[in-house]
Amino acid sequence: MAVNNSVLIIGGGIAGIQSAIDLANMGFQVCLVEKSPSIGGRMAQLDKTFPTNDCAMCILAPKMIEAGRHANIKLLTYSEVLAVDGEVGNFKVSIKKKARSVDEKKCTGCGVCVEKCPWKVNNEFDLNLGQRKAIYFAFPQTVPKLPVIDREHCAYFLKGKCRACEKFCEAGAIKYDQEDEIIEVEAKAIIVAAGFDLYDPTPLREYGYGRIQNVITAMEYERLSSASGPTAGELKRPSDGKIASDIAFIQCVGSRDVRSNRYCSSVCCMYGTKEAILAYEHQPGTKSTIFYIDLRAVGKRFQEYIQRAKDEYNVTYIRSRPGNIELNHHTQNPIIWYEDTTTGETKSLEVELVILCQALIPPRDIQEMASILSIELDEYGFVKTPDGLSHPVDTTRVGILACGCVHSPKDIPDSVVQASAAAARAAEILSGGT
Amino acid sequence: MTLEDIIKETKTYYCLECGKCSSICPISRHNPSYSPRLMLEKALNGFEGDLINDQELFSCLSCYNCLLRCPADVDYPLFMQKVRALASAQGKYGVPAHSGTLQSLMRLMSNPAIEQRRLEWLSDEYRISEKADILFFVGCAPYFESVLDFKTGALDIAKDSLKILNALGIEPMVLADEKCCGHDLLWTGDVKTFRKLAEHNARIIKESGAKKIIFSCPEGYRTFKFDYPHYVDLDCELQHITEFLAENMGKGKLNFKEAKKKVTYQDPCRLGRHLGVYEQPRKLIEAIPGIELTEMEHIRDESICCGTSAWTNCDAYSKQIRTERLLEAKATGAEMLITACPKCQIHFKCAMVSKGEERGPDVEMDVMDIVNLVASALGDNGSE
Amino acid sequence: MNGFNLSRSICTRQLLQTKRRRKITEFEPRIIVFACNWCTYAAADIAGTSRIQYPHNVRIIRVMCSGMIDPIYVLRAFERGADGVIVAGCNYTDCHYIDGPVKCDVMFEKLGKCIHTLGLEDERLRRELISTSEGTIFAKVIKDMVNQLKKLGPSPFRKKVKS
Repeated sequence: MAVNNSVLIIGGGIAGIQSAIDLANMGFQVCLVEKSPSIGGRMAQLDKTFPTNDCAMCILAPKMIEAGRHANIKLLTYSEVLAVDGEVGNFKVSIKKKARSVDEKKCTGCGVCVEKCPWKVNNEFDLNLGQRKAIYFAFPQTVPKLPVIDREHCAYFLKGKCRACEKFCEAGAIKYDQEDEIIEVEAKAIIVAAGFDLYDPTPLREYGYGRIQNVITAMEYERLSSASGPTAGELKRPSDGKIASDIAFIQCVGSRDVRSNRYCSSVCCMYGTKEAILAYEHQPGTKSTIFYIDLRAVGKRFQEYIQRAKDEYNVTYIRSRPGNIELNHHTQNPIIWYEDTTTGETKSLEVELVILCQALIPPRDIQEMASILSIELDEYGFVKTPDGLSHPVDTTRVGILACGCVHSPKDIPDSVVQASAAAARAAEILSGGT
Repeated sequence: MTLEDIIKETKTYYCLECGKCSSICPISRHNPSYSPRLMLEKALNGFEGDLINDQELFSCLSCYNCLLRCPADVDYPLFMQKVRALASAQGKYGVPAHSGTLQSLMRLMSNPAIEQRRLEWLSDEYRISEKADILFFVGCAPYFESVLDFKTGALDIAKDSLKILNALGIEPMVLADEKCCGHDLLWTGDVKTFRKLAEHNARIIKESGAKKIIFSCPEGYRTFKFDYPHYVDLDCELQHITEFLAENMGKGKLNFKEAKKKVTYQDPCRLGRHLGVYEQPRKLIEAIPGIELTEMEHIRDESICCGTSAWTNCDAYSKQIRTERLLEAKATGAEMLITACPKCQIHFKCAMVSKGEERGPDVEMDVMDIVNLVASALGDNGSE
Repeated sequence: MNGFNLSRSICTRQLLQTKRRRKITEFEPRIIVFACNWCTYAAADIAGTSRIQYPHNVRIIRVMCSGMIDPIYVLRAFERGADGVIVAGCNYTDCHYIDGPVKCDVMFEKLGKCIHTLGLEDERLRRELISTSEGTIFAKVIKDMVNQLKKLGPSPFRKKVKS
């Protein structure tokens, strides 16, 4: 089935959605491809966003719905790009639409199947801190509102048993024999908005991630403090479920470091502060300590946000990069060893929970994607945009543009701006420009 | 070399001043005001006088903990080595241990006109060759016993190393006019004397025709491998005895008799963090039947230093560092602490000899070198 | 550094001047004596006041007790170009601090091994017990050593004398 679309957008996060809406509103046809079952991307995993502390989903969901309902946008979720041929103005793209095992035309999104499914699986959306069912919605506000069966954990696909979802579905939408589809799409331009992954701090053994239970990553923290997360928003620490009220954040984990990544990940200073503020809002009186090297608060109202954290939310900033985290075996508290660089003294600080502010890294499958698209990546794996001043979103292949975090780490406002830039550039190409 | 040259060469201007080095430094752990970062800062800000006159400049153990963790690729130990050379040229030293006896001895040894009698311990039970491909480097072992006032066991390490090599059928060369490798002089800033020692050793080893040098001391090994190439031209394969034994014991030539003991292993700074040799000593210990190896809390590249380096600035903090390590060893329930470095052994033994409440709790622990353990467990083929 | 600043000692300078004046070509050994204040130093004093002749090649360094002599003093003496060193003090029953000579013996035994391993001839390092009244013995010891050292020649460390 070939569909004559004008722009293909790879990646359904906030940047992809923004580009899609912009182009669609301009009158162009858009095909938005997303590999997970729902659009929304990483922003859906966040609790609040800085510097306004707006609820992330509250801002994202309206955009997701607009993208889902827009006449000019075709959503291909749970789909992956297999091959890209042709050239600007005439790209021919093969997309594999994976089988959800649910008939799109019949499903009403009522959710009975999910309720009745007896099989529980670790929830990767919650970073394996909680569980979901074998048939599931990634999060409550998915667009499209269609569940998906995880064939690797479903009893029917593994052993031929159960079929509870089929039994209870009143619309008869469960389709176990649904197969993957190959869809051919034609596009005049392609926008890559594939987003990012997060640095896994395990190799940095001094921080104790994996060795000490109460050392967690920032994204795990986001899920813990999310109302839709595994603990319904309570900051319960992993070892004993105690609500942590004395916490520490360590910045630059996996960034500004020759042992992992040399670049600065741009958003961690701000999200660390945000998470500290949120901890206080969830539990007034919480004491947070943030270990930083430099505080990069470059955007609008960002510096004021940090000042508010110090003034109103009991956040202390210590200029230091801790050398070691050890464990107090009796209390399971992490003990942080650091040098206070303003006084030159080596000290230790015992806290109840440590959050590692991990760096944003390119998506783990970026190499594969780059070779399918025939675009170049830089030494870190971010998409190369060689002509930064005149054509800031053009990749090394004419007609393919990049925006959002796959281009370089950035916050949500900047991703949205760059997405609109990519949309404008795509519009230029579609209107006969080069 | 000026301070600016040193900064350029060691790339210390990359320093992020994050303090990670200080927070992992074993000295800073016990002496909170000791800060490697502050020393770098002084250098970068041009306070050369402050830096050179600071006796704490000579406190660094060059244990490499900071180097392995630094996010900015700053080679702090090399920086500190070169600044010490600068300080020493201006007549500033740290506080040499034992009143500077060891350094004096090494300077005396560097004199080209002497003819040492350093092989008098080599009785007939140890077989050596006039000419062989393998050379065994003895180092300062014959001198330690006569300078320190407790039984160091350093010479036993050399003896047992030869015993094991002989059991493998190897009769290495042992040179009679070998000299100190110069490690301690290089790390206390006396580059001139170090060069003399290096040039002498390189010359006699070249003349001997040796192809491989085996060390029982990781300091000598490290010095030959990383420091000598900057001063002399020596083209030999280098190995620590544990590396050599781990490679060769599997060839069925070494028989062990059973020894029932629970031991723990100290990764020396030089063998571990500097040279990356972590597995071979463990493999060797575990090859002896009946030996149970239990690991301490901090091992491999997180291992804790023995507390003193290059016989300088040995103070109460050094004792505290060692005592911490000995307590960790005791906590494993092991009967014996096995090391692979004569210096580690000497320093641990010293901690147990010099008692006194004000320097920390007293710990009693048997300390032995890995070659002593292996030699004592040799079966029939060891007693030829 | 422990401060026995020999190379700037007036005596050494005088010796050099003397050599130049007399145009001596024969080797004159330089001996350093560490003498304990109460016995050996007094003995040397007695030798002097009794006009007992002994060779000029000696520099005497007074210490309070032979027991406080550290190996570093001797090693530094050799580093600075001494051809011979004598470590001298009271007899075992005479020490004002009770057990100084015993401590000195323990130190000396180890030091002797060290010097021996370095390749120096055993004659270059001597241990003597000379009590206050034994001025003649002091003179004899010095004469003895000078003769021995003249036969042995200069210390191998003399070639590179630097601080």
